Amino acid sequence: MRGFHGRLLHIDLTTGQRCWIDIEESRLRAFLGGIGLGASLLYEFAPPGVDPLAPANPLIFTSAPLVGTGLTTTAKYAVVTKSPLTGFIADSLSSSYFALELKRAGIDALVVTGRAAAWSYIFVQNDQVKIHSAEQLRGKSPLESEAAIRAELGVPAACVAAIGKAGENRVRFATISNEGRHAGRGGVGAVMGSKNLKAIALCGDQVTVVADPAGVDRIAGALRQRSLSSVTDKYRHIGTVANLAAFNRLGTLPTRNFQQSTFDHADALSGETLTASNFSRRHGCASCTIRCERLFKAVNGEEQRLEYETLFALGPLCGIDNPDAVLEAARLCDLYGMDTISTGGTLAWAMECSERGLLPESQQLRFGRADGLFDMIPAIAERRGLGELLAEGSRLAALEVGNGSAYWAMHVKGLELPGYEPRSLKSMALGLAVSPRGACHNRSGAYEADFSGAIDRFKAEPSRGRLVSESEDFAAVLDSLIVCKFLRKCFNEFYLEAAELLSKVTGWDVSDTELMRAGARIHTMKKLFNVREGWQAKDDWLPERLLSEKLSTGVGAGSGLSPDELRQMIQSYYQARGWDEYGLVPEEKSAELCLPTDSASLALGSV
Amino acid sequence: MGRPKALLPFAGEPLIAHVVRNLKRIFAEAVVVAAPEQELPSLPAVLVRDEVAFQGPVSGIYHGLKSSTKEVCFVTSCDAPFLNLQLIASLLSQIVDYDVVVPYWQERFQPLHAAYRSSVTALLREQLERGELRPISLYPKVRTREIREDEIRRLDPEGLSFLNMNSPEDYDAALQLWSKKNPISVSIELFGVARLVAKTQWVSLALPQEATLAHVFSALAEQLPALAGRVIDSGGLLSGYTCNINGREFVRAPSAKINSGDKILILSADAGG
Repeated sequence: MRGFHGRLLHIDLTTGQRCWIDIEESRLRAFLGGIGLGASLLYEFAPPGVDPLAPANPLIFTSAPLVGTGLTTTAKYAVVTKSPLTGFIADSLSSSYFALELKRAGIDALVVTGRAAAWSYIFVQNDQVKIHSAEQLRGKSPLESEAAIRAELGVPAACVAAIGKAGENRVRFATISNEGRHAGRGGVGAVMGSKNLKAIALCGDQVTVVADPAGVDRIAGALRQRSLSSVTDKYRHIGTVANLAAFNRLGTLPTRNFQQSTFDHADALSGETLTASNFSRRHGCASCTIRCERLFKAVNGEEQRLEYETLFALGPLCGIDNPDAVLEAARLCDLYGMDTISTGGTLAWAMECSERGLLPESQQLRFGRADGLFDMIPAIAERRGLGELLAEGSRLAALEVGNGSAYWAMHVKGLELPGYEPRSLKSMALGLAVSPRGACHNRSGAYEADFSGAIDRFKAEPSRGRLVSESEDFAAVLDSLIVCKFLRKCFNEFYLEAAELLSKVTGWDVSDTELMRAGARIHTMKKLFNVREGWQAKDDWLPERLLSEKLSTGVGAGSGLSPDELRQMIQSYYQARGWDEYGLVPEEKSAELCLPTDSASLALGSV
Repeated sequence: MGRPKALLPFAGEPLIAHVVRNLKRIFAEAVVVAAPEQELPSLPAVLVRDEVAFQGPVSGIYHGLKSSTKEVCFVTSCDAPFLNLQLIASLLSQIVDYDVVVPYWQERFQPLHAAYRSSVTALLREQLERGELRPISLYPKVRTREIREDEIRRLDPEGLSFLNMNSPEDYDAALQLWSKKNPISVSIELFGVARLVAKTQWVSLALPQEATLAHVFSALAEQLPALAGRVIDSGGLLSGYTCNINGREFVRAPSAKINSGDKILILSADAGG
């Protein structure tokens, strides 16, 4: 097989058993790799209705056909499991050397089930699999764990993905981290913690053969050139933090738990200001020419990585206007291994509760109080005091606190909202409402339509259903091949060029339409998993605040989104997908995409 | 000219509307004298049709004065886009002891930029009946105050009040002159890389009337040369950048129209985070 190894490694931590299982070529062609392959394996390995933190819930790491080909931005891997935050699919990506090493380890997927009797870590070195004690690593940060494992193994080249304290304590939005990067959303770190699995170390020298190396090099070379053009200027010269000032001016910067869409102190936190005052270093993932990461100088002199989503969530969303405070809060989240969006979203919910007198035990928990953040982030990671409640995420915490606090719990399906104000980005509003993994800006890039000028971003229109479904399919293909989204605009004709590239890698004769169908299949696979796990139409919805309050500040002042408008857009989306009015996938639609139906499980024939 | 002068677009409206709107700033009543079948836009004025077409300015002045309810009128043609209201007020203020107040500019009377007392209508009718179609034939017969060039220059140094348009070239020149005399003002806010490269956040630009984004890009590149080739090139914005007007509308097309007071944002075309 070209471009793949054609096998997965399944480790059961309860029994210690490990086995290599062949993956049918038809499945790889249907689901590509990354998120797609992970979703299909999740459907197969997860017992229906499994508790996300139960041993039986599989934690799946997948590689992809473009990983290791030398194509810029493709050093990525996916983590797929059933989310403890949403109860639906969690599919997260992370990147860099661990991703390359997963491919070199000679497997396309690593499926971990069971629960180790004591804290452990897995070491895969080509065909050798060992399970080591990790008792000595308890309480260590992901970065500390990486260094300690390499030293203990005596393998400096080993690449390690680990959880921090938050994962150990099953904080529902804990991450899995490697080299300072995170598979961040949906609580994949909590699932890893629930298996008493502190880390996975990889070291391999397996070569993936590609069908047409010269052809791959030619396409990769052209994309490398384009990756250095003006379309990636933002990422290369300032990073994603550039969003903050622009979003503020456009009235789409969620502030103080979505009470406002502009932040009075945005200038102090803007990427432009941070670049002038705190810039330390530009960095990038392995084999990436864009190198979007920005490291900023924190007060203690150390470097801290910062992205827009972290900046928004720990800054304006919590009313914090001090860049040093945001950098420190981001450092704490990295240290404990916590998703910064969900951390900020849950804390913003708690701040509002506290200001309304619903959490009297925490006087510091107020919008704008950095000391409240600094106290609460470790408390959440360690599940201490109020942290025990907040470690559950805003949805479950609001259920516990009651008193109407669910109104300002800003999540979809339990996943806290990212930094795109839905009331001034109506396509994105729909994308957030229907996304299988909850409020997510990566599995749907519908904001692109809102920022394109082709539509009125303040209007809710039925035409948005098609836009959102196409955006989801596009993301599904990118996340499965895997290509970083920051390269997406470097393609002239994405599906044509990506199909040619995949053909050169695998030797298959892939067409652009086949790839588009794969996108629809992968997305629908995720939906089918969710339906099997209890999804109902009410889960495709937005927080009540967004549907009740109009924006009060900025250029979007007066703009709102009514339940009827959202309902109509959702119906247009179901229609565009060929789903029924209740959002369910008809059998014939599943069959058309070669997906499981009531009468057949994953029956992959010709796609 | 090849097309009706009164309807030529000027400063965003038909020329006749531009002239009437300008005059209505100081006159309570406006009378428009049109040819029998002449097409006109809706105007805040009394509309009078010439009984006989092509009888020249005397007929127009005669019908206008006859239809006005006022004792004193200012008369102008429809193709005078640069009327100077101060000069007009000055003419009117000097008619107390006269029947006509008429500027004398560059060795010519300007009968279509003059103040007339309505009492001269009888003489004008007699002129028409005799076929005397030149307005200046009236002046020796009534109390006429001639405004000298030096008096005019005090209020209208370039004599633009008397500029009219008799050819497409005149029209183009008038448009250009209008843009130069009446620039629109826009503010530009730079974000992200554009701000870092230009080392500034805000820029104010004076642009010609009828300006488009192409004018914005060109003026911006001139004022902030660091942006040229990095953010802007001769074709407009480079593909990594976009433009938003007043925080509402995203536009990239260089032909997009710009209005005075617009706040134009230059930012990354990619909102990924």
